[in-house]
Amino acid sequence: MKVEQLSLEEFRARLGSKNGLRIQFGPFVVRIQSFLPSLANPLYRLYAFYTLANDDIAEFHVQIVSKRSLRRPFTPFVQFLVDGQAPFPAAPVHHALTMLEWGINLAIAVRVNHFLLFHCAAVERNGHVLLLPAWPGSGKTTLCAALIHHGYRLFSDEFGLMHVQSGNFFPLPRLMPLKNQAIGAIRDFLPEVTLGPEIHGTLKGTVAHVRPPEASIDREDEPAIPRWIVFPKWTAHQPLQLEEMPRSEAFLLLASNAFNYEVLGEVAFDAVTGLIQRCECRKLVYSDFDSALVALNALTDD
Amino acid sequence: MVDWDGEFTVFQPAAGKTHFLNEMGLQVLILLDQSPATLERLCQLLAEHFSLLLDESFMQQIQQTLHRFEALGLVAYVNFSQ
Repeated sequence: MKVEQLSLEEFRARLGSKNGLRIQFGPFVVRIQSFLPSLANPLYRLYAFYTLANDDIAEFHVQIVSKRSLRRPFTPFVQFLVDGQAPFPAAPVHHALTMLEWGINLAIAVRVNHFLLFHCAAVERNGHVLLLPAWPGSGKTTLCAALIHHGYRLFSDEFGLMHVQSGNFFPLPRLMPLKNQAIGAIRDFLPEVTLGPEIHGTLKGTVAHVRPPEASIDREDEPAIPRWIVFPKWTAHQPLQLEEMPRSEAFLLLASNAFNYEVLGEVAFDAVTGLIQRCECRKLVYSDFDSALVALNALTDD
Repeated sequence: MVDWDGEFTVFQPAAGKTHFLNEMGLQVLILLDQSPATLERLCQLLAEHFSLLLDESFMQQIQQTLHRFEALGLVAYVNFSQ
């Protein structure tokens, strides 16, 4: 059963109930609880296509709760909790959605060690995964949003979940937070995209979340093997370049931005080595989505 | 250890660290793994291996590399006089 099959009132009731709202996000079940009235509406719309995981054990128990600040007693604040603990400070109430999404990502990043967790976007085309690792100025979420509305299946805009024994990557298609100028760029390029409310004044500026396509969420239990690793960089007014990247450099960048590389030790070293040896590694410099799509389509054509 | 066309990644199990080495760095570790050596002897072997001039600048470069490797726990200083 999907979230959209509930009425808004039923959704709100579940969110505020003792059992909470249990959502399947890829291989994880997250139990979300909140009594915050302003959170239910955008969450209902953005989570519409996710599967309700009614009877499954939840890996993550998260809450958004109201909080009063002694310094600012008349300003409503909210706090994100995971297993009753607050990993970061309270924020103004209108940041509730960003707090929830960042909080769930943080919980995944620090607690999941049965996958090697890369900090990258991942999409699938022609049965194979294309990894877009995060590095400064990469614009991975923005590029990922463009790709998944042009024939690519979303795995994640934030995590590459690698099962180290099989080499498979597992989808984790969560909401995609666009920031600042990227919001307008995606609105212009993809008028059909479903975006959440613009949330101003967060630590990362203005944020708006893209709802992943229904087809990607429907196939969130279908893993695939990567074949391409492309390190993107958005640079204004630059002609497109898609060049081969030395594998040693790709290893360095990929390993150093994995969340749990050091925790997994030699297992991770072997997994990254195998991954780099199997994949074509490229650097992409782009300034517009159309030319980036043409280049990436050519790379990932059968 | 993995060879990426002349650059090498090495996993050091004791420290759980991954190191990136060029051919010179790797050769330093290979030679010291075979037997301890003085800086002069090590530089002589390296200069022969890579067909390089054995001068003061080269020896300083190798000494710096050894200091870095020592800080990373890859090599240890041994007192030959004892």
